[in-house]
Amino acid sequence: MNRSEIFTVLKSNMTAIIDGVEGVEINETNSMVNDFGADSLEVVEVISRTQRQLRIKVPRTKLSQVSNIKELIDLFEKAAS
Amino acid sequence: MNMANQTSDNNICQPRSEQHRIVVTGMGIVTTIGETSDEYFDAVVAGQSGITPWQDKDSRLYSKFGGDMSGFNFDAHIERVGKAYPSDWIKRSRKLSRSASLSGRLVAAAAMQAFSKAELHNVKLNSERFGHVLGGNNLGNSYTFENILEFEDEPDFMAPLYGLVALDTDVLAVSSEILGLKGPSFTVGGACASSNLALLSGLDLIRSGRADAVLVSGGTMELSPVWLQGWTLIDAISFRSFNGEPTQASRPFDKRREGFVPSEGAGVVVLESLASAQARGVHIYAELLGASSTSNASRLTKPGLDGQIRAMSCALQDARICPDQVDYINAHATSTPLGDASEVAAIKQVFGAHAYQIPVNSTKSILGHCLTASSMVEMITTILQMNHSLVHPTINLEEPDPELDLDFVPHQAREHKIDFALSNSFGFGGLNSSVVLGAIN
Repeated sequence: MNRSEIFTVLKSNMTAIIDGVEGVEINETNSMVNDFGADSLEVVEVISRTQRQLRIKVPRTKLSQVSNIKELIDLFEKAAS
Repeated sequence: MNMANQTSDNNICQPRSEQHRIVVTGMGIVTTIGETSDEYFDAVVAGQSGITPWQDKDSRLYSKFGGDMSGFNFDAHIERVGKAYPSDWIKRSRKLSRSASLSGRLVAAAAMQAFSKAELHNVKLNSERFGHVLGGNNLGNSYTFENILEFEDEPDFMAPLYGLVALDTDVLAVSSEILGLKGPSFTVGGACASSNLALLSGLDLIRSGRADAVLVSGGTMELSPVWLQGWTLIDAISFRSFNGEPTQASRPFDKRREGFVPSEGAGVVVLESLASAQARGVHIYAELLGASSTSNASRLTKPGLDGQIRAMSCALQDARICPDQVDYINAHATSTPLGDASEVAAIKQVFGAHAYQIPVNSTKSILGHCLTASSMVEMITTILQMNHSLVHPTINLEEPDPELDLDFVPHQAREHKIDFALSNSFGFGGLNSSVVLGAIN
């Protein structure tokens, strides 16, 4: 699984779950909370659904240290490899 | 008989003062036989059974049938019946329903109907004085069961919001957020008597002045395989004789009845003071005159005759209505051998010779037993019958039990004017509750 595939699934879940993201361009430097106003439950939902769809497991302790989408994809990519 | 709930002023059979009169101004219902009150009433009057083989349950279960709403599609429902709903309701409901349990989605669908019928999408009441009481406990059972299976497979992949959504309060909160209800709010658990107890709580909130209006919801108890097997083991449900003909399994008062038929569904009403409803100029469907709560002080599933008698008597006293004024009873009537016999005996004790002069039907013969939601569904059924002067049939009453000899309205609906109605509900844990409704002329 490559980085682009992970980003595609992540974007699809962000669009479905976070209010106001539909139709908006999403970059790796964006933060779900700071740039799109996601609440804490929406972030949990996006991350968990993405993990489940991709069958990737990332420890919760590491997820809490992520500050933007790039770092999240880095974690997913590492876990998938 | 100890009249624990008896009113202190002995003002029995005298109407309550105007400020203590509570009315129903909105109703919503989602069942196996109709997803609006109009659809539902047409089907219930026709005696159209909602019982089918389970769509997708473990084949090892003894239980093979019931009222199955596991395929309920919230978005399709809103698309079909919610054309007049405000766009902000639809937006919030679509978002919240995505992660909600089946119970949360069914209650939300019924709550939006009730609010819309009460014209509360046009005229706003003070949201901080608008309460919400949800009747029901142990609701999200299928949701929990599916997540336990997911956990067994991979703990990290269970539903991300499980820690929130599995609570009964989430069923309450989903509808409260959609409709913006900020007044007194809580769940009321009383097994199969839950919804009548929630109505009692809603009534008390308005009578006491704690709220101006209350949304009272009857929450769906989702039918997980573990619950179905559990009820089989205590011999409470039908699983022996009707697997080839499930629509005939729920047969209250009939000689061949063998247990209740579990079912899913939800109902919701809007309660408000008569003064508030009149000031808003909205249609009033019925008056909620009184309610009661009694206990058998017993954990057994065996019904308690004394508790049932007291439930009916206390509700009539709370309603300031004499037994002879009641002209219709919606029986709890679950199709269990002991339960139906006990309820008929209790009705005869409370109403005497008058019991033989009034129709006593069983909505569960058609829908099965909607458990925690049942008494809300049956309260709405009672109001619809009152509004149409038409009582629905008790179906499957092919060979009446000779011991049970009241007018159960067998087979065919019948025209019948209702001014005062009683609706019973009795739950495991020895809990009994009745409500009394009056027509608004």
